[in-house]
Amino acid sequence: MKFARLILFCALAALVVVGGAAAQDQQDLTFFLTFVPNIQFAPLYVAIDNGYFAEVGINVTIEHGDEPLGVDLIASGQRQFGMISGEQVISARAQARPVVFVYEWFQAYPVGIAVPVDSGITTVDGLRGHVVGIPGRFGASYSGLTALLSANGLTETDLQLEEIGFNAPEAICTGRVEAAVVYSNNEPLQIRNRAAAGDCGSVTDVVVIPVSDAADMVSNGIVTNADTIANDPDLVSSVVGAFDQGLRDTINNPAAAYLISTTYVENLPMSDALITYLITAADDQNAWLNDNPDATRADVAARRADLRAGLGEQFTADELVQFDVLLASIEFWDADQLGMSTLDSWQVTQDILSSMGFLPDAIDLEAAFTNDFVPVPTE
Amino acid sequence: MFMQANGFYDNLRVLQRRIPNGRALTPVIGVLALFVFWQVVTLLELYPAFIIPPPLAVFEKFVEVVQDGRLWLHTSTTVSQMLVGLGIGVSFGVVLGYCMAKWRILEDVLSPIVLAFQSTPVVAYAPLLVIWFGSGSTSKIVTSALIVFFPMLMNTIVALRNVPVHQRELIRSFGANGFETFFKLEIPASLPVLLSGLKVSATLAVIGAVVGEFIMAQAGLGFWIKLARDQYDTPLVWVGILTLAFIARVMYGLVALLERRLLVPSAQITPTPYGDGEARPPRRT
Repeated sequence: MKFARLILFCALAALVVVGGAAAQDQQDLTFFLTFVPNIQFAPLYVAIDNGYFAEVGINVTIEHGDEPLGVDLIASGQRQFGMISGEQVISARAQARPVVFVYEWFQAYPVGIAVPVDSGITTVDGLRGHVVGIPGRFGASYSGLTALLSANGLTETDLQLEEIGFNAPEAICTGRVEAAVVYSNNEPLQIRNRAAAGDCGSVTDVVVIPVSDAADMVSNGIVTNADTIANDPDLVSSVVGAFDQGLRDTINNPAAAYLISTTYVENLPMSDALITYLITAADDQNAWLNDNPDATRADVAARRADLRAGLGEQFTADELVQFDVLLASIEFWDADQLGMSTLDSWQVTQDILSSMGFLPDAIDLEAAFTNDFVPVPTE
Repeated sequence: MFMQANGFYDNLRVLQRRIPNGRALTPVIGVLALFVFWQVVTLLELYPAFIIPPPLAVFEKFVEVVQDGRLWLHTSTTVSQMLVGLGIGVSFGVVLGYCMAKWRILEDVLSPIVLAFQSTPVVAYAPLLVIWFGSGSTSKIVTSALIVFFPMLMNTIVALRNVPVHQRELIRSFGANGFETFFKLEIPASLPVLLSGLKVSATLAVIGAVVGEFIMAQAGLGFWIKLARDQYDTPLVWVGILTLAFIARVMYGLVALLERRLLVPSAQITPTPYGDGEARPPRRT
């Protein structure tokens, strides 16, 4: 009996030691995100929840804040990783911040100009002389608009630009502006929902003129600092790899990603019926992915479209608005090769910033980014 | 030894004569000490220069923006919004405060609302003001007026309640009517507390205008600081911050000057956010 107790005690002690050692092996890491918890950050939530960070010994905590603040925290080594836009990386490096872009998350620039369908305007040139709303003369919206106008031979003075804050749906629906610079994966969906509910004045729908059709600018991605790349490249590879896997999972199975995101984002619309539907859809999609390991991007995209169609038959647009934001965002993330950015797109972004007068001197773009840590899938 | 000590005191007296008000220099010494400390911190490289730039870099940026006119553009925008907001906030605060001090029923009705709003940080409702009043200067003026309004309101109530009862009885015994009581007793007796409230309000008005500009604007020091941060121009951020501090200090100084002109020294009181300093009777009653 005593011997059995001794064995039990030793086993427990061994468990405690092993468990403690495992816990100690986990490296705490605070990942900086802009904005507030939002469905658009689903890939990171998925990467954490599916244990991709834990598998490589990283315990991630998410922190939200102002983008320039995040850049300074990363540049000064107080944080090591964050999700930052490419133009901010250029501006920051122009002011001596040693930040480096290591993974391009958004493959297409998500800004565009939303125009009510009834206006008949479908081109940038058609906006000449019209009142166009913009959040402000700063940030991605302003850079995107400048790129769009420049590509079409226009300047800001060809439009009547009005600063409206992040209130594009309100400004368009009340007729305060005739078009508005928007995030293509978000505000147009809100406007369409309001229009469908008869709550958007005379507007019945909007078309979006995307910046990405006119200029290939670098969008958001993972940023770290030069010290971390020099001293701990394995950590960079691990973080990038974990996020990459989370992004792939989100693209392949948005229903599962949405369910995971509900624990990170407050107030995501989630009725019991929707939860049940999404759980079933997520399981079906996992089974389908297992059965079709060679499925193409087009196949997966078709599955997403089917999922949305099925949801639309059972749930209201209001209940699906955040799921629609996720699906619309995936269109900007998906690519044959995730994570890569090109020197050309960095050059375009820098040229736009220079033309806006935001960049005193050109920077060495090749030092601003690297694709060395982007996982290349093995076929 | 005794002679040496006498010589020391003589030198001190000579120094005192050369510097009529030696105490006036102490704030300057404080500011200089701060700049020396700042320079030492940058020399020690405790933080990279892009986080804490050296004072010289900030000074060079200051000269640059003075020369190209940007400092004047943004400062004048903020100051004009702040002054209008201050005027409106003080006027409404004093008038409503007077009414609440006079009529208890009004105080009973409004006190819970006033206290609730006063304890709500302005940054919480400022975005709503931008939506309601637009992105122009009106929303900044309203923000500024609101932040000023509550301390002035509370100070006015406290000031009127602090008018000594024996003075009220005295002026009543002379047969003074309501207007005479107001002009000859209540206003003079309330001035110390009102002016201490104005000191607080004058500095708060700067905060109000800047908070509004931070949220949405096309000009003004708040907008400028935000823009400088977006462009990672830390010296410019510091120029904006120091300009704001200077404006707040000037506003405080102007009210202090007004106070010195209107009140005898014994009646001047140190400002508190709610004007709960003890008021003494002013010179003219």
